[in-house]
Amino acid sequence: MSQPRTANPRWKLALDVERCIGCHACSVACKVENHVPLARFRTKVYYWEHGKFPAVKRNFLPTLCMQCEDTPCLKACDNKAIERGADGIVRVIPDKCDHLGACETACPYAAIGCDENDVADKCDFCSHRLDANMEPACVETCPAEVFHFGDANHPQSPYSLFMAKHGDKTAVLKPEEKTFPSVVYKGHEKAMESKIPKGKVHDPYSYEIETWTQLESQFPKKNRVIWAKVEQTVPGAKK
Amino acid sequence: MKRRDFIKVGAGAISTLAVGEMILLSPDADAGIMDWFRTTPKLYGTRKSYRRASGKGRISNDYSKATIVKGVCLNCSTVCGIQGYVIDGKLVKVGGNPEDPNNGKSLCAKGQSGPTINDYPERLLYPMKRVGKRGEGLWKRITWDEAYNEIAPRIRKAMDEGKPEEVAIQIGRSRIAEEMNRFLGAIGSPSLFNHRALCSSNKRAANYVCLGETDWETGDFANAKYILNFGSNFYEAHQGAIHTAKRIIRGRYDNGAKLVTLDVRCSNTAGRSDEWLCPNPGSDGAVALAMGNAIIAANKHDKQWLDTWSNVGSDELASWIRAYTPEWGEKVSGIPAETIRRVALEFAAAAPRSIAFTNRGSGAHYNGFNADRSIILLNAIVGSIGKVGGYCYGEEPTRVPPRVFPQPKPEPPRVTATSLIENPPEWPLANKWQRMKVGQIVYQGLKEGRGKVQVYFSYTVATPQTWPEGRSLTVEVLSDERLIPFHVCSDIVYSEQAHYADLILPDASYMERWGFDTRNNMELRDYVTLRQPMVQPPAECVSFVDSMIEIAKRVGPDTAKYFPFKNHEEWMKIRCEGLTKRVGEDGFEYMKKHGVWQDMTKPQYYDLYAWELTEAQMKDTRTDERGNVYRKAADGKESIVGLMVDGKPRRGFATPSRKFAVYHKDVEDAAKQVGFTEDGGKGMPTYFAVPSIEKMTNEMLHLVTFKWNVHTQGRTQSQKYLSEIVHHNPMWINTDTAKKLGIKSGDKVELTTYRPHGHQMKNGGEVVGKAEITAFVTEGIHPRVLAISNTLGNLFHGRAATAKKGKRQQVPGWIESLDNEDQDLVEDIWWDPKNGGTGAGYNVNAILPIQPAPLVGMQGWYDTVCTVKKV
Repeated sequence: MSQPRTANPRWKLALDVERCIGCHACSVACKVENHVPLARFRTKVYYWEHGKFPAVKRNFLPTLCMQCEDTPCLKACDNKAIERGADGIVRVIPDKCDHLGACETACPYAAIGCDENDVADKCDFCSHRLDANMEPACVETCPAEVFHFGDANHPQSPYSLFMAKHGDKTAVLKPEEKTFPSVVYKGHEKAMESKIPKGKVHDPYSYEIETWTQLESQFPKKNRVIWAKVEQTVPGAKK
Repeated sequence: MKRRDFIKVGAGAISTLAVGEMILLSPDADAGIMDWFRTTPKLYGTRKSYRRASGKGRISNDYSKATIVKGVCLNCSTVCGIQGYVIDGKLVKVGGNPEDPNNGKSLCAKGQSGPTINDYPERLLYPMKRVGKRGEGLWKRITWDEAYNEIAPRIRKAMDEGKPEEVAIQIGRSRIAEEMNRFLGAIGSPSLFNHRALCSSNKRAANYVCLGETDWETGDFANAKYILNFGSNFYEAHQGAIHTAKRIIRGRYDNGAKLVTLDVRCSNTAGRSDEWLCPNPGSDGAVALAMGNAIIAANKHDKQWLDTWSNVGSDELASWIRAYTPEWGEKVSGIPAETIRRVALEFAAAAPRSIAFTNRGSGAHYNGFNADRSIILLNAIVGSIGKVGGYCYGEEPTRVPPRVFPQPKPEPPRVTATSLIENPPEWPLANKWQRMKVGQIVYQGLKEGRGKVQVYFSYTVATPQTWPEGRSLTVEVLSDERLIPFHVCSDIVYSEQAHYADLILPDASYMERWGFDTRNNMELRDYVTLRQPMVQPPAECVSFVDSMIEIAKRVGPDTAKYFPFKNHEEWMKIRCEGLTKRVGEDGFEYMKKHGVWQDMTKPQYYDLYAWELTEAQMKDTRTDERGNVYRKAADGKESIVGLMVDGKPRRGFATPSRKFAVYHKDVEDAAKQVGFTEDGGKGMPTYFAVPSIEKMTNEMLHLVTFKWNVHTQGRTQSQKYLSEIVHHNPMWINTDTAKKLGIKSGDKVELTTYRPHGHQMKNGGEVVGKAEITAFVTEGIHPRVLAISNTLGNLFHGRAATAKKGKRQQVPGWIESLDNEDQDLVEDIWWDPKNGGTGAGYNVNAILPIQPAPLVGMQGWYDTVCTVKKV
């Protein structure tokens, strides 16, 4: 879906998370689009369930790279393997990366992963899709119309239109990190910010149902629920 | 020689299987993994193919090289239009079809996961014949020619014996019912066993009773101001989930609508609603009637609408509903009377921009048919039926494809053979409006000899996994060669269904085959979508329709004559000729290009019942003094075809009275016929209790099931990105209840379930089964309800589904087949218990009793009663 853009676009994103239904379409769209391996994440949707029965509420928080203007991962990389384009997108230069991991440690948003299996990996707003006049995979698919993405330099882009109407009600996540994110949120639960790990890419364990009510970002083994192991058997199967 | 020396082991070995070679497919086919790891390169298979040449970083899709092919998703029941991006012959991505009126460019997580189905390294690739005992998992690769010659003569035999009904097809959500009906029609068999009674038949029957026209409403949610949701989880599941969710979100956030959800469990929908009401299970109908009472008592009902359009007028309705006070509703449902009254009056105040609607939460009960009728009645009481922002509906969508895309001639004659399994007389409303059937009694029927099968096909279904009593009765019958002498399974991956087959036909995925699809269109217009192959199926996979065509040609000239086309593609092409005139270009090319056709010639289906009859429609009619418009049919029988309203002849509802049917004589007659003596069977949507629930003792709890937003019941767990998100389904239990029972999250508990009481139920109170499962303690559930997802607990479907990482097989030389191996499945299934993960979950359907509700036969999924104790 092509959208209005200037010759020198500045890509930004606003998420209207009150609308979010926690469906994970953004995450899966991202993983298929970018062949993101299991246990690695560019985007992730956090759940928070709170309240006492029957006054129980659930909130969701879709997260991705904040494309920070003051870019901690970029500053942390001794190899200069991360650069920030004029379009505002922070990208990894694969051949310069020796997976030192400093970028992951520096990121307050769990948005970049860097280990021995591959080079540093992060969301680049699906730059290859932007090149083809398409929206990022997460933006395109969202059934709840949470994502308002576009060229901030163009007044008619979905981002600009949204910000003109709701800009005063948006906020960045973890403003205390002072990284000046290009991604802003409307209607998110502030308390949920603590679920996003700092210095470590998203933890697969935070998908587990028992983490829904928690606001922690780290789940040391001793704090985890040890799920009793129950074997299922195949009726009639040959042993 | 040991058997393992010459038999290949594990689904992964399918890719290297030669004709005549054998393979053992069983869940414990595991192997010496360490040797293999030592000799395997660090980067291989699909992961390597996505990397740049240096091995650093991944290659991005180059969309300048992509071909876009339109299609339709089938990773759940919702029917979302999709478009596939094909680069170098590979489907790299799917997105929503922007031209689709229902979903546009949006897809859910399941839809997005589509391409991983095609790529799954454990797909079935060749026809295979069972060589061991049934259910042992020992198979031999055969040719398609051999496979067809196993099937066709058996069908011939049944036909020659005059028992065509003994050729049966068991389906799930196949979306090729027209094709199957033609195939079975050619044979002369009525035996298409479906799953509608396990899905939604109470809801559908309720809509048919009230509206007469269609089984599924189309709430005009985007324009609504008040949405009263009885047991639908449209943010995660539902039929039409994304279509509904998208518009409800617009209604709420762009139009200021309020959303109130009734559910016994805090689903994502309930947890994100403006209000979550948590009624006692099986009491939705009581809440609806009490709300109706409150509205009428406050004189906030739409008298004029009721007196014009309802077959029970406002006065009569007021006196009938008088007994159902909010205080009575509180006693039945546990929802405070003042809440019932308040919500009811808010709902009425927003009318006609108010919608009360249903789904499985209200419908999958013994009393769900009347519950859903009561809920639909709320819309009539406030006059929101058919209105902008109200409870709208159109003409039945499934009638559109055969009308617009006519079937090629000659068509098989009407089937005269009958089957007590396909049409069981105990549930006279199951097949009344459409052939919804009573799918959960098929295996019991075969076991009891109510009917027989000689040839049993299964397609897009995994009954051992998804049917009630699946792993007990279903497996018992599927394993018994006297009851099912020949079972042919067409499937994508080796499933629990395939495991009990005699012949496996490797199917094409929904991204590799043809078909039409449609459903209710939220834009209130007729529309049809086209499924077409985005890529060719791998190896020897053949779509099941192409297999049926080939089989029909081999059975004999009497079946072959109905299939005068080469394959499904040619069949579709012929049918699309019907569209050519409408679109002014080649119909087939139009459908391939757009993937969807929408009828823009008619107005949107608002106020359908008030549409004026045309002069042509009024021809040969007479109108009586009450304003009923009558026409004589060819047999001389006169029926009402319209109503005079405001001085004009109008269409009315497609019910016998042409009015919205609160009362329905056919329901009363059906109840009399089968001796269902409850007041609820007397034609009005009277509330009656669920007998099993009434008889519950204090220590008993309800057991319900639910769907996750990333899974369907049976077919998604093999998709790695979906199972990565949800792979485990512990039993939800309320915090207070758990405390009383001394249960903590992670504790192992033993569940015992009991057989139901009630009409047509046998052995009420007997134990159905016991299961050990793990508890999850939460605030988000009714204190007397336990909930376990109906998904997960797969025994087959490969590594992603079973949470077993590692190599596919132990066949010497299999390194050669590394090309299509997925390193994720070998190394990175982090939820594998070997890593300390949770494993792949539990199958709860095994211990849920078969319990068809009276008259309609819908499975009472949420009527199960149980006891639980800590192990």
